[in-house]
Amino acid sequence: MLTVATARRNALYCVAAFFMLSLVLGCGKEYRFIKAASFKGPRGISITFAGPVDEKWAKDQANYSINEKTDPDIYLRIAAISLRPDRLSVTITLEEDINQKATHTLAIKGIVSEGRNMGSAIVDVKKFYLGYLLSILMGAMIINNFVFTKYLGLCVFFGTSQKKSTAIGMGITFTIVMVASAMMSWFLYQFVLKPFRLDFLQIVVFIGLVSLSVQAVDTILRKVNPVLFKAFGVYLVLVIANCIIIAVPLILADNEYNAIESLMLALGAGLGFLIALFLMSSVRERIELADVPPTFKGLPIAFILGGLFALSFMGFSGMSLF
Amino acid sequence: MKARKKTNSELFFNGILNENPIFRLALSMCPAVGISTTVMNGVLLGTAVLFVQVFSSCTIAAIKNYIHPRIRIPTYTLTIATWVTVIDLMLAAYVPEAYKEMGIFVKLIVAFAIITMRLETFACRNPVGASFWDGIGMGLGFTFGMMALGLVRELLGMGTILGYDVLGFRPLLFFVLPAAGFFCVGLMMAIFNYMEIVYNRRKKV
Amino acid sequence: MKEIFRITIGLTISCLVAAVIMGSVFAITDKAKKHNEHVNVQDTMLGLLGFNKDKPAPRDLRFFSIYRYTLDDSGATRLAYMVPVLDGGKEKYELVVITPAGEFVERFPLKINPEAANEGHERELALRSVLRPSTGLSFADSAILAVKGKERLAYLLPSEFPGFKTFIKVILALDPMFTVIGLEIMEHEEDPGLGAEIVQPYFKHQFRGKSFDRLRELKVIKEPLPDEYKTALEKKAPDKGGLSKADLETLRDKYRDEDIYAITGATISSNAVTSGVINAAKKFSYRLKTLEKVIAAQRLAVSF
Repeated sequence: MLTVATARRNALYCVAAFFMLSLVLGCGKEYRFIKAASFKGPRGISITFAGPVDEKWAKDQANYSINEKTDPDIYLRIAAISLRPDRLSVTITLEEDINQKATHTLAIKGIVSEGRNMGSAIVDVKKFYLGYLLSILMGAMIINNFVFTKYLGLCVFFGTSQKKSTAIGMGITFTIVMVASAMMSWFLYQFVLKPFRLDFLQIVVFIGLVSLSVQAVDTILRKVNPVLFKAFGVYLVLVIANCIIIAVPLILADNEYNAIESLMLALGAGLGFLIALFLMSSVRERIELADVPPTFKGLPIAFILGGLFALSFMGFSGMSLF
Repeated sequence: MKARKKTNSELFFNGILNENPIFRLALSMCPAVGISTTVMNGVLLGTAVLFVQVFSSCTIAAIKNYIHPRIRIPTYTLTIATWVTVIDLMLAAYVPEAYKEMGIFVKLIVAFAIITMRLETFACRNPVGASFWDGIGMGLGFTFGMMALGLVRELLGMGTILGYDVLGFRPLLFFVLPAAGFFCVGLMMAIFNYMEIVYNRRKKV
Repeated sequence: MKEIFRITIGLTISCLVAAVIMGSVFAITDKAKKHNEHVNVQDTMLGLLGFNKDKPAPRDLRFFSIYRYTLDDSGATRLAYMVPVLDGGKEKYELVVITPAGEFVERFPLKINPEAANEGHERELALRSVLRPSTGLSFADSAILAVKGKERLAYLLPSEFPGFKTFIKVILALDPMFTVIGLEIMEHEEDPGLGAEIVQPYFKHQFRGKSFDRLRELKVIKEPLPDEYKTALEKKAPDKGGLSKADLETLRDKYRDEDIYAITGATISSNAVTSGVINAAKKFSYRLKTLEKVIAAQRLAVSF
């Protein structure tokens, strides 16, 4: 249910994101008198002011109201407020644990500093956005590695993990095509398929875009750098047969990521595939020299190895980084 | 007429045994590892693949004379994607429960190498009838592979078959865990290899 | 040149044919899909209320949906509830806009029939037609009230929260005192054998009978589930190794105020479901009280 307004907002966001990466680092709106607001511990929110604030004002619970951004009507109850001795920072402790994944809105009424009224402010408190992006990247790369925990892209994975050099070539080619096609499909999905309610065409559109980007990378590489093309050209065709490349756009479509988050997920998926290929090829080069029973030679032993890798990747599951 | 019929049945069994997509050709491994936890999943996804394979094979075999050789691959992709969409929509509408089980894998049929490969190596050189039988054979072969894996994993992992309690206890929960898919496929392949080795040895003697 | 021309024509024709096929299939299946989904949700809701084939729902049982939207009215955040009302015996929807603090702002009658209100798209059209064009509109959630005659039977809350892998969608049923009647997992993508066990009766039925005050303090404990409690939760027929009705009652009373026992190897999924249920119940009870105050003050002829 994407309204035109949200689409427009998304477009703005996308443009802003691409041209001003610094915006990523910003944490929402900044008010002049409030220097920073962040989560502190499981139940605390700390606010740093530009100047010393009045103690009587600062300790009054009625001056603050906190809510999750998606629930503007439900105010979280404040248990205690403490002021640092230098009167520059206030820590609000809530009665219950904060859901730190959600953005919180903190409204502060009539700040009083050195007897002067500095006005009211509304600030968004959320986790460091870059940290969130990194956690998407690491998530797709290791914690939810597409090969070992989602079991996608296996045909190509087992086909190209015999030698390290092949593995690296395939991994890099795949990552490039992955990022290119995921970004295109994100864009097309958000601005064409969804607003016009053409969701049902997503499979055709996504696979078409993948073929298109493969073709484009092929042509560009052939013209610009023939040496590189010789090294990587052979893998390009294989990319189409890899289900990860079609799974990522589908996941993006389901999860409402914005442009940068999508970029991170695609990059993570590509790098994760590269890591998986590299690990597997290292082991398979050694296995070549080992005495494997004839029935297990070739693919069967590779699958058993894949299973061992998958088991060890299960150890990462549930990890949260930031 | 008789000879012709034999070819068809040969085509049919070719997909199930000699060129079994999962255990012999080692194609379309993702669902074989990912959702082969129960027999039912195998049957459902297998049926979906069967339909896509048969429809795509027939379509390509029917229009092969009109396809310009240079746009051969895009046409295949388009055909498969169309049929996958059709099956996807149908499943979502009429069997929502099963569709939920299979998750993203129905949509991923579009990237299954087995279908494209059959179109490229078989359907574009053979008439509709032969392609139909080849498609059915390949589809059933895939279903068979998925079911075999599902049987092992469901029986050992949950102690059930098709949801019915058979053993009354869970022998090895490990088998239903996601990572065990790799082991199962590996072991099954080894069994197929072993059978082949034994068969060849007998033939020599 | 001629070749390119032929290729282009060939591709265009095949694309058109493909689009026509997909479009027509979509047109045919879309209705069936929505119908099936609706039936599925309806069945689940009846099941949660304890009705099934052996015990059919009474004739006068009806479901009413309340939809909540958040509005952004030139900088000011507003809540908008689509409330089912009775207007001369006919069922209609009215939009009630309130401030986050619960003060009434404005209300509009909506031109939408109750059937169409199931569709998010239709609702949005109806809302757009009464709101100022510059107002930002986003759907928040919905709640369903089960009413039997004049008496409220239950609140059914469709809810969605992040699980271990992706989102878990559930329907939570509360009685008018906000005690949990039941929990049904609608969609999830947890690992089979681990997180996927949340759909098993021995986990989801643990929530049954928890009072609202108990629910607020509910925790997840990592202890093995006692065998007798598990048999009670699985509620098999007595001849299949299950328990008699009296035994079941005593066991239920014994474990009524117990915390939630985590699923072995899936603590995160268990935690996610528990906190999701607690949040859904807490938020809903708060909102319903606010909304009822407004309804009473405005003398809205609500259908529930």
